[in-house]
Amino acid sequence: MRFPFRHLPAAGGGQLTPRPTLDVWLEGIDAVPLASLLDTGALRTRFSRDLATAAGIEPDEDLAETFALGGAIVTGAPARVLLRIGAGDDSYAWEAPVWFCDPWPFGFQLLGLEGFLQHFRVTLSAYHEWLDCKPEQ
Amino acid sequence: MTAKAVQISGQQFDLDPRRIVRAVSRALPEPVRDHYVVIEGRRYPPKQVIALATGLDRADFTTHQARRILRRLGFTAARRGTQPTPSAGAAPRRPAADPVERLRPHIGEWVAVKDDDVLVAADTPATVLAWLAQHDQTADSMFRVPETEAAAGGAAPA
Repeated sequence: MRFPFRHLPAAGGGQLTPRPTLDVWLEGIDAVPLASLLDTGALRTRFSRDLATAAGIEPDEDLAETFALGGAIVTGAPARVLLRIGAGDDSYAWEAPVWFCDPWPFGFQLLGLEGFLQHFRVTLSAYHEWLDCKPEQ
Repeated sequence: MTAKAVQISGQQFDLDPRRIVRAVSRALPEPVRDHYVVIEGRRYPPKQVIALATGLDRADFTTHQARRILRRLGFTAARRGTQPTPSAGAAPRRPAADPVERLRPHIGEWVAVKDDDVLVAADTPATVLAWLAQHDQTADSMFRVPETEAAAGGAAPA
């Protein structure tokens, strides 16, 4: 499944550097998938806590952690959720641990090693501005 | 710009751009079916705007009436899938045909995007999702338009 990089406006004019993102469906939110950044340096997959609330997902507060993320101190708690990506006629769903964090300093949700990269073989071309995701199973 | 006297459904109204902007400031735009006007970077159905500004029922006037009034007040009007036409008195501005330019007015907001159009923009994802549900809409993608490179980045420090 191939996904084009996302182009974004810069606040001061012009554009930000295009980002490798893909749209991920989160169980409980049927109307729209969530633009998510491929974050190869991240151990975990992290979403905004607001999205857990909207989706009716209850993260495990017993496992909550406070940590620095994107220049902010955030609290995150995990939940095992069903995620799905699709491009054209192809789609793939998998169950993943997602850490739902508050506050959320990012524009996108973050797809890390655990929860995303362990499930896909990813090829990325920054030159051509696309990324390919092939399920490992 | 001074107020313009307009007659709608037999009633007289003095409308000016500030009154229009104020009237829509607390309303999320409803889905655009065909015609729209651009107010503060957002696309609104013309009838929604005139109804908010006048308190009239939407059945009391037509889309074309609403569109004509708003163009006279200096707002850009267009149809989906066509280039926006600035009003005669409007300052020239960069065309918003580019999907990136369509996102620019919404920097810092959560948006739902469909076919490169911004369907709805709001301060929280819950508001965006509620709007989609209320109007029975689906979208291609939802995210917060990042204010900075850092907000568009990942968890690792730069």
